[in-house]
Amino acid sequence: MDTEGFWGSVKEEARKNYIAVFEQDWPTWLAGIFIAILALLMFLWQSPWGIVGGYRNWGDWFFYFLGANGTRPEVPWINTMSVSNFGLFSGALASAMLSRQFKVRRAPGIEYVKGIAGGVFMGTGAAFAGGCNVGGFYTAIGVFSMGGYAMMAGLGAGAYIGLRYLLWEMEKFPPKMTDESPKESHKAPRIDWGRVQPWIGASILAAAVAGFYLYSAMGKTQIGGLLFFGLLIGLVMHRSRFCFVRAFRCPFMTGDAEMVRVVAMSLMIYGLGSAVIKWNYLQPEDMGVYHPFWFGSLIGGVIFGVGMLLAGGCGSSTLWRIGEGHTKLVLTLIAFALTNSSVNRLMDTVGINELLGKGIFVPEVFTWSLTIPLFLLVLLFWALAAIWNEKTEKLVIF
Amino acid sequence: MDIAAIKPDSTLDARGLTCPMPLLKTKKALKEMKSGQVLEILGTDPGSKNDIPGFGNKGGNEFLGMADDAEGFTRYFIKKG
Repeated sequence: MDTEGFWGSVKEEARKNYIAVFEQDWPTWLAGIFIAILALLMFLWQSPWGIVGGYRNWGDWFFYFLGANGTRPEVPWINTMSVSNFGLFSGALASAMLSRQFKVRRAPGIEYVKGIAGGVFMGTGAAFAGGCNVGGFYTAIGVFSMGGYAMMAGLGAGAYIGLRYLLWEMEKFPPKMTDESPKESHKAPRIDWGRVQPWIGASILAAAVAGFYLYSAMGKTQIGGLLFFGLLIGLVMHRSRFCFVRAFRCPFMTGDAEMVRVVAMSLMIYGLGSAVIKWNYLQPEDMGVYHPFWFGSLIGGVIFGVGMLLAGGCGSSTLWRIGEGHTKLVLTLIAFALTNSSVNRLMDTVGINELLGKGIFVPEVFTWSLTIPLFLLVLLFWALAAIWNEKTEKLVIF
Repeated sequence: MDIAAIKPDSTLDARGLTCPMPLLKTKKALKEMKSGQVLEILGTDPGSKNDIPGFGNKGGNEFLGMADDAEGFTRYFIKKG
């Protein structure tokens, strides 16, 4: 190949960049920075990032078609969180295709059962907490809603209980061990999907960008933007395998502190950015502050935490893992959406929302001047405790 | 190191399982092995490509390497320390 000429040089550079972007996994700290920036842009653009609102909308539609839900829900291509979820899924699917990692992935039977159970737990927990690990924890802490801290504690406790269950299950059904290693196979696949996938992936990206312009042409630029930001978040999450579950699970499982550090750092960036936005009244102070502090957020966090361990995915990683082809998580998503929609309706009818608590804006309690250092200290303490645990393995239960 | 030349003492089949199960089972399998023995893990989860090498070098164990099989799974080798 001629690498001397201009086009030769462009081609060589494009090839190198393609490998760097779509073949090598991105470092998670980089993804932590990107996600904070994208979440801030979304907040400035329209409203804070969340996932469950979209799932609930899909669940509401199912019950509406069954006739169990009287009022007609908002259409999914207008509902804001539903649109950013479509974006996140498309971004992850495109990214998996561009990295030649998309494959319909089946799992053993028991994993499907755990996937459904995990979805039921997460749907219930998210209904109590007013959001999943994104809306109820990440965004909540970032926009200074007190409930976020209660859910954080709950998620830790839930992850601990969930991990205990997984360990019990492993004792009950010990790993399949043999002393016979399978023979190396040289069978070539019939169709080489690896060559086709990147083209499909690129087409999905192009279609999503075209989707943004289409929204804009119909006078819905704001909604279209959410599709676009969701797309980028999905891409970042898949390329870095960003997983909030790890931040809560790994301190108990391997002691690994990396994800705690990344999530804490990402939250510091997001929170400081959101302080700029809210303190300066660029967006209303109470925007995104509705998490039921403290009982709803705490108990919701515990239930959600158990569910995310069973399913092996949370609000956001369920979506991007489906984009990679995991069939188990398709069932998780369905169970999540249907349960969340039902439990929300049940809570409205029974009227226990009052008991769960109400949204509290942290600066209203502590003033802005105290809120910022407190917020940073909590995250710093979380990261330092995880790093200490990595060295001493004091919290590792296995 | 030549991956094809590694002779594992036992093999853990984690194909079809997703995060965190392959890692949990690997940890459990290693606990039951003797020092110096080699564990082979068969996995299909793309996440394992980061997890298992990272974990394999912890706690005195040694990650020996990994190889993709044409059948669509990956073999990982860890030597217990």
